[in-house]
Amino acid sequence: MLIEVAHYLSILATGLFFLCFLFAFILSAKDIFVINLVSRVYTHGFLFLLISFLIYVWLAINDNFNVLYIAQHSNTNLPTFYKISSIWSAHEGSMFLWIVFLCLWGVIFNLFTKNIQDLKAKSLGVISFVAVGFLLFLLLTSNPFLTILPIAPENGADINPVLQDPALAIHPPILYLGYVGFVIAFAHAIAFLVNGDPSIKWESLVRTWSISSWSLLTVGIALGSWWAYYELGWGGYWFWDPVENVALMPWLAATAFVHSLSVSIKSSLLRIWTILLSIIVFSLSLFGAFIVRSGIIDSVHSFANDPERGLYLLGFIAILIVISTILFSFRLSILASKRNIASFSKESFISINNIIFGTLIFSTMLGVLYPLIYEYLYDQKISVGAPFYNAIFIPLTLIAGIFLFFSIDSKWQRSVKIINFLSPMSASLLIAGASLFLINYFLAINDYSILLSVFVGILILVRYMFVIYEYLFKRKYSNPYSIIAHLGLSILIISIAFNSEFSSERALNIRMNESDTYRGYDIKFDDLRLEKSSNYDAVIASFILNGSDGRNFILKPEKRKYFARGQITTETAIKISPLKDIYMTIGDQLDDGSWIVNIQLNYFIRWIWFSAIMMAFAGLMLAYSLVRGKR
Amino acid sequence: MKIILRAILITLPILFFTFFYLYINEDKYYPGADFRKFEMPIFKINSLYDESNISNNDLKGAYLVNVWASWCITCRVEHGFLSKLSNEGIPIIGLNYKDKKDDAISWITKFGDPYELIIHDLKGELALDMGVTGAPETFLLHNGNVIAQYRGEVNKMIWNDVFMPIIEKEEIFNND
Repeated sequence: MLIEVAHYLSILATGLFFLCFLFAFILSAKDIFVINLVSRVYTHGFLFLLISFLIYVWLAINDNFNVLYIAQHSNTNLPTFYKISSIWSAHEGSMFLWIVFLCLWGVIFNLFTKNIQDLKAKSLGVISFVAVGFLLFLLLTSNPFLTILPIAPENGADINPVLQDPALAIHPPILYLGYVGFVIAFAHAIAFLVNGDPSIKWESLVRTWSISSWSLLTVGIALGSWWAYYELGWGGYWFWDPVENVALMPWLAATAFVHSLSVSIKSSLLRIWTILLSIIVFSLSLFGAFIVRSGIIDSVHSFANDPERGLYLLGFIAILIVISTILFSFRLSILASKRNIASFSKESFISINNIIFGTLIFSTMLGVLYPLIYEYLYDQKISVGAPFYNAIFIPLTLIAGIFLFFSIDSKWQRSVKIINFLSPMSASLLIAGASLFLINYFLAINDYSILLSVFVGILILVRYMFVIYEYLFKRKYSNPYSIIAHLGLSILIISIAFNSEFSSERALNIRMNESDTYRGYDIKFDDLRLEKSSNYDAVIASFILNGSDGRNFILKPEKRKYFARGQITTETAIKISPLKDIYMTIGDQLDDGSWIVNIQLNYFIRWIWFSAIMMAFAGLMLAYSLVRGKR
Repeated sequence: MKIILRAILITLPILFFTFFYLYINEDKYYPGADFRKFEMPIFKINSLYDESNISNNDLKGAYLVNVWASWCITCRVEHGFLSKLSNEGIPIIGLNYKDKKDDAISWITKFGDPYELIIHDLKGELALDMGVTGAPETFLLHNGNVIAQYRGEVNKMIWNDVFMPIIEKEEIFNND
């Protein structure tokens, strides 16, 4: 009964959002009466949607297996936490959550923005339009409210065991929040283009929203990477999986966008870039949804699917993007700036950054599309992997890093003579060069791209140390959030370089009570136990590792077989230390009784996620300071 | 100059989406479908109802083999369509997958039996040999070979788009 109420409320919300869109674009948006109307209709639409979603969550918590989706993805034995997260463990429910988040951003914007804001009504109209499109997608092609009548199954099926994990329970919501948060920037860009008045500063209206979305997107991607590492047993931080790529593209675009945004806010320069990037960020987010949901690409993320969904999404996204580009191309003239950008100004460096990031996005897109185009033309499956992306990302990131180094003391809107900053610059160069020499001397790295990456990383790091010194002791103003975020970047570059240089892995073939050695570790296969848990059987191996440094510890990798789906999962065992992870997984038993055991040494891998968290933290702090500054 | 820029800006996304449209519509794209032909593995497993054995000899001619289990919710959803197929004269063999005998029999009693025979594959051995990854899956068997396979729920759309073309091509199930 309740499920029908939830279903009905969602339909009602769709109708209200559609009305909101109509009011915003048909009635005169300058009229304060109209803006009030649009704002209220939107809030009520959201309220219905929220109640509908809350009812759904309540049904999931209470094991209402009359609902087909809940019966298929939840189980009476699950803890409540996973009963809730089972909602976003598959297509229909996660789409529902996606839409709720989209509208949530809209409603927060609606409630915290005064009705006299120039673009408010039209922006809400655009958000409503997007919401209507996706709600129709939900209700028509992937309805989570379907019921099985008359007899409900007793216990339900089960959530996929690899999803029964805290990181995964929060990875999708945070990622979705990041993705759909850019709807605010997109909506304002469209509203600005429709409005056509170049004096409206739409950029400053969306800054806080965009930076918080960017931070959430960063955290979401890092969480996904971490989950794949320890729960899926992938044993690394990034695999250029197509679905990772479709998450990376919006992130790259968003990074370029938030940089470009600060230029446009300060000086109305780069407005074309800013508008274009805001459209691109949101389009890429939607494109990601399309790739994942249409099942075009096989990956851990592809949901069971049918082609109708792909077609619908494709059509709707096409409408959105084509309308946006047409609008954009006809409003080019109001966006063009009459002034030139001074060389060696902050603006000049940020435009270079835009070009580099644009190239990265384009190349990633090429890597994602090329196998599809090839398959379409020649009917053969190929894949584009790490070598392609490395060849593009390493040099371009390093070039961006070098430009960042030179840009650190540049000023807004005027050129600065580098001579003025010669001393910190040459000092950083010296220190970075010296540390590179030492690193090379003690660690004997032969790979030039690694050496160069470490050099650039240290260069940025040391340069920022000087900036921090001046900030703290000479009271010279710098943007603290920018410092933290870019320090994060330098740590990211250094740790990725070290990680790819030093990490190694080997598959051991080992029997009970035998020993083997790997990279200074004596590994003794000590014990093997069978254990029964409430919803799975486990084989738990136990290894005693003796390090050459005298430290020893036990690692217990596991293999589990879940009853409900018969699925077999590997549970990794990881020994964490500041510099490296020792990572073990257990494979199959061979006929001669020995086991295949995989051991990896992953250097600096924690630092990679830490640097992502640093960037996100800087973004959130900046957003917070902007919100506080407004009051 | 401006016109060219405009034209490029507008054509690019249109080209992009046309490609995806063509790609999806090429052969209606079903990730669950597989047409690689392989020989039906040799097996000898108990029937669900009694201790009698079912083996390859019982599957001569053309059959659908449907992998199901009482714990599988999607099988419950699929059940209606299978019953319809069965009424239309399509012979279906059930492969009961990793299921308790009592559960399976009470499920069949409750919802009806669309199957001519039900193989009780308690340990999933035959299913493993056939490359089953989960329930439900449906195989099209012709003269000892599996010629089509679908992972997931078979419904009217899947039947018409995945199975019918190959059934018509191979001219099977034509006797009635």
